[in-house]
Amino acid sequence: MKVGEFFKKILLFDLFKGLSVTFKHQNPNDLVTEQYPLERPKIAERFRGIPRLVKDENGNDLCTACGACALACPEKLIKVGSERNPETKKKVLTEFDFDMGRCMFCGLCEEACMTDALDLSKDYEVALYSREGTELNRAQLEEGAPRKVYEK
Amino acid sequence: MIQYFLGYLHSNVTPGEAGNFLWVTIYVLLVFAGISVGVMFMNWFERKVMAHMQVRLGPMRVGPVGLLQPVADALKLILKEDLVPSNADKLVFWFAPVCVVMTAFCGFIVVPFGRTHAVTDMNIGVLFMLGVSSLGVLGVIMAGWASNSNYSLMGSLRSGAQMVSYEIAMSMAVVSAVMLTSRATGTGTMSMIGIVQAQQQQHTWFAFSFFPVGLIALAVFAIAMVAETNRAPFDLPEAESELVAGFMTEYSGFRWSLFFLAEYTSMMAVSAIASTLWLGGWLRPFPNLLGGQTWDTAFSLVPGLLFVALGALCFYRLRSMPRIRAMRPEVMGLAGFGAFLAALGLFMLLPAVRVRIQDIFWFSLKIGFFMYLYIWYRTTFPRYRFDQLMKIGWKVLLPISIGVVVLTALIGVRQELLALVWR
Amino acid sequence: MSDDSFYESLEEIAPGHTFLGSNELVLNMGPQHPSTHGVLRVILKLDGEKVNGIECVIGYLHRGIEKLAENRTWIQFGPFVDRLDYTAAVSNSMGYCLAVEKLLGVEIPKRAQYLRVILTELCRLASHQIWLGTHVLDIGAVTPLFYAFRDREDILNVFEKYCGARLTTHAFRIGGCRWDAYEGFAKEILHICDDLGPKIDEYKDLITGNRIWLQRTKNVGYISPEDCLAYGLTGPLLRGSGVNWDLRKAQPYSSYEDFDFDIPLGTAGDTFDRYIIRIEEMRQSIRIIRQAVEGLPEGPIITKVPKVIKPPAGEAYVSIEAPKGELGYFVVSDGTAKPYRVRVRPPSFINLQALEKMAKGSLVADVVAIIGTLDIVLGEVDR
Repeated sequence: MKVGEFFKKILLFDLFKGLSVTFKHQNPNDLVTEQYPLERPKIAERFRGIPRLVKDENGNDLCTACGACALACPEKLIKVGSERNPETKKKVLTEFDFDMGRCMFCGLCEEACMTDALDLSKDYEVALYSREGTELNRAQLEEGAPRKVYEK
Repeated sequence: MIQYFLGYLHSNVTPGEAGNFLWVTIYVLLVFAGISVGVMFMNWFERKVMAHMQVRLGPMRVGPVGLLQPVADALKLILKEDLVPSNADKLVFWFAPVCVVMTAFCGFIVVPFGRTHAVTDMNIGVLFMLGVSSLGVLGVIMAGWASNSNYSLMGSLRSGAQMVSYEIAMSMAVVSAVMLTSRATGTGTMSMIGIVQAQQQQHTWFAFSFFPVGLIALAVFAIAMVAETNRAPFDLPEAESELVAGFMTEYSGFRWSLFFLAEYTSMMAVSAIASTLWLGGWLRPFPNLLGGQTWDTAFSLVPGLLFVALGALCFYRLRSMPRIRAMRPEVMGLAGFGAFLAALGLFMLLPAVRVRIQDIFWFSLKIGFFMYLYIWYRTTFPRYRFDQLMKIGWKVLLPISIGVVVLTALIGVRQELLALVWR
Repeated sequence: MSDDSFYESLEEIAPGHTFLGSNELVLNMGPQHPSTHGVLRVILKLDGEKVNGIECVIGYLHRGIEKLAENRTWIQFGPFVDRLDYTAAVSNSMGYCLAVEKLLGVEIPKRAQYLRVILTELCRLASHQIWLGTHVLDIGAVTPLFYAFRDREDILNVFEKYCGARLTTHAFRIGGCRWDAYEGFAKEILHICDDLGPKIDEYKDLITGNRIWLQRTKNVGYISPEDCLAYGLTGPLLRGSGVNWDLRKAQPYSSYEDFDFDIPLGTAGDTFDRYIIRIEEMRQSIRIIRQAVEGLPEGPIITKVPKVIKPPAGEAYVSIEAPKGELGYFVVSDGTAKPYRVRVRPPSFINLQALEKMAKGSLVADVVAIIGTLDIVLGEVDR
């Protein structure tokens, strides 16, 4: 065994084994690069992305302006404005401000919402050139923040 | 004048030997252009091969498969700000990259791409190349000195020490190959063309003569040349995660690209020495095992067919390219490149061209093989520490190379020795 | 480099003072550096190539996480803990939840415990992949980094499908897990386990047997078992020197006693042994994951905890075996909804003390290897 080990050492066997590993990986089926933006990644269902306010099938607000999300947020970046509807005596949502620039996408607001109105969507492409567009108001949360689609 | 021009065309010696200055100049320009294109190709090739070995794609955006990436890099480097450190020795700072580049290119005067395809043929060809590459060490040390930085100086001194140590092992291996040239005719030669002709006469590549001594000599040279050119696994002086920054740090923009050019050119120069000395230079594979007219013709078709195949590959890749409007320039570029390669291949299939091109092709292929080895080593191996590096150069490679020289000598004169002993 | 040519030694001028030796060079491996794993500043005192002394300057990544805890409720602090050791976010979550649950005195359902074990072991695999890639990159081999990140992608995909984020996962809640296993959870994880075995063997071919690797890592960064215990080092550093101490076996938490796995031990406390230990730990993690996935019990995934958690006044210390060492949480409650104090015992911070002991007397090129083998992440060191 000593002689075998000795020959393996001088014939540089270990180096050749390493070389063969890297050589084998040149197989084109092994490549794992995703060429963004031509190929976009597959996003999971539970992905915590950009927040959205969801409406139900008839177009009514699911949000009852209870403010649970604002209480749950660690960074206190949600502001819920509401007024009381004199007929139904229920709260109605007037304003909803979400500061996406300070958000850490932890999902506590989504968890706290009892009507599934606030949803962290599967959207992730919202890069901006300045901080101006990061504070989302109610309209942007309902329709989605305006953004430019790049092809190349 | 025209006579001067045409008079050379039917000669069978290199222009330097023929004394034809016009053709010497043309060959020098061709060599310069060829090496520059080679370095640019090598940049792209290294990035793509390294990337594929690392299961990723490498440059893909600039040009069809990143083919224009070297052009983009060169443009960027030329447009960069030219910084000269304050308190740096300006003349030496300017001269260091010039020195390295000049010595690297000078070595290519004697490199033969064919019997007549060299600028000239000196009868001390190999010695000239080794000497000129030693001058490159001077440029490296000048670069470290002129940067006026303690760390650059240390890095360049380490780099210089490494290059000098491994040159000795390289030279011993070269000596053993040169000794082999005298087996057929009784007189040896150091001329590069002479060495290839000796291999032709002896009907064997020197790598396979006195098996396995020739292979050991080639292995020693292959390892020493990697250390000589400061490439992995011996690239501690220029490693990025090393503290001592290396002699190239203070150079930016075009000056850095000169160092880069010199590094790849010297890589090609030592690969050329290795191919000429051990792998038969411009000779096609199996010149005797598969000899004869038909085999000659078959092998001479290979370059043309290879380029046509590459062109076809380009067209094949067009199918998998996305069909959106934004990609149309890339698609057209790839199609154009494929057409160009195929046309070049067809041109190389013409009989008149075939005969001249095949030597150049086989020689370039052998240099390319060594370049691939360089990239392969860089991807695979970790780095040696500097003291381990010097230990290998002096305590491992040098004794082995001296042993190879002695063994070659003994095996070469075995008839005489045995005759002496038997009496 | 110094002009004390008039005197035999500087001792003549001012006896008793310590001076830099005349051959010593002070080198600053600054906060931005390709090889320090994060913003770590190392000041080296060199004698030629030999290291005489090392001083670490930390704090470039200090974000005041422990102070932030005093102004958030117990539940709201959950996402912050992921940002400590950001390469292994799930273990931090596990440790914090265990500490608060101990304070509350609640018992976690079995299914939640098994889910936690599965995700924490996956996270250990992911963290060791990063360590492997970066450590080998520092020593010079450039490819294993890419192979390691490719293998890590599968694990991060599992995290994304489970909790919605790849890196800052916020996977666990106080009382159990927020989400149950998704469709195809078991199949995907078993597939990862099957795939990863041959890939770890590949590292053996590419790195472990390589003579250059052996020369760079054997007998580099030695630390004795006594020093380990004196400094309080934990994790692979401790086990590399031969001390058999792993919290998953010594003080089992979250059903680790149900699983059958070995603890790899080293003999010589050098870099190579620690490398082998971490590779072996990856294999043992795969074993644990397989057993946990196949034995996943049915049941609830979270116990009933009140919406606003107000633990009784008191304190608790819970430590877990994070990939980097012993990660401990000392939580103090004063009966209100916000913590009085959360103190994190970061393994990287404690392990970093050993850098000077390990690197003194070695060469400069070895310092880089030693920092890599300590496996520090500055998020933890600086908090």
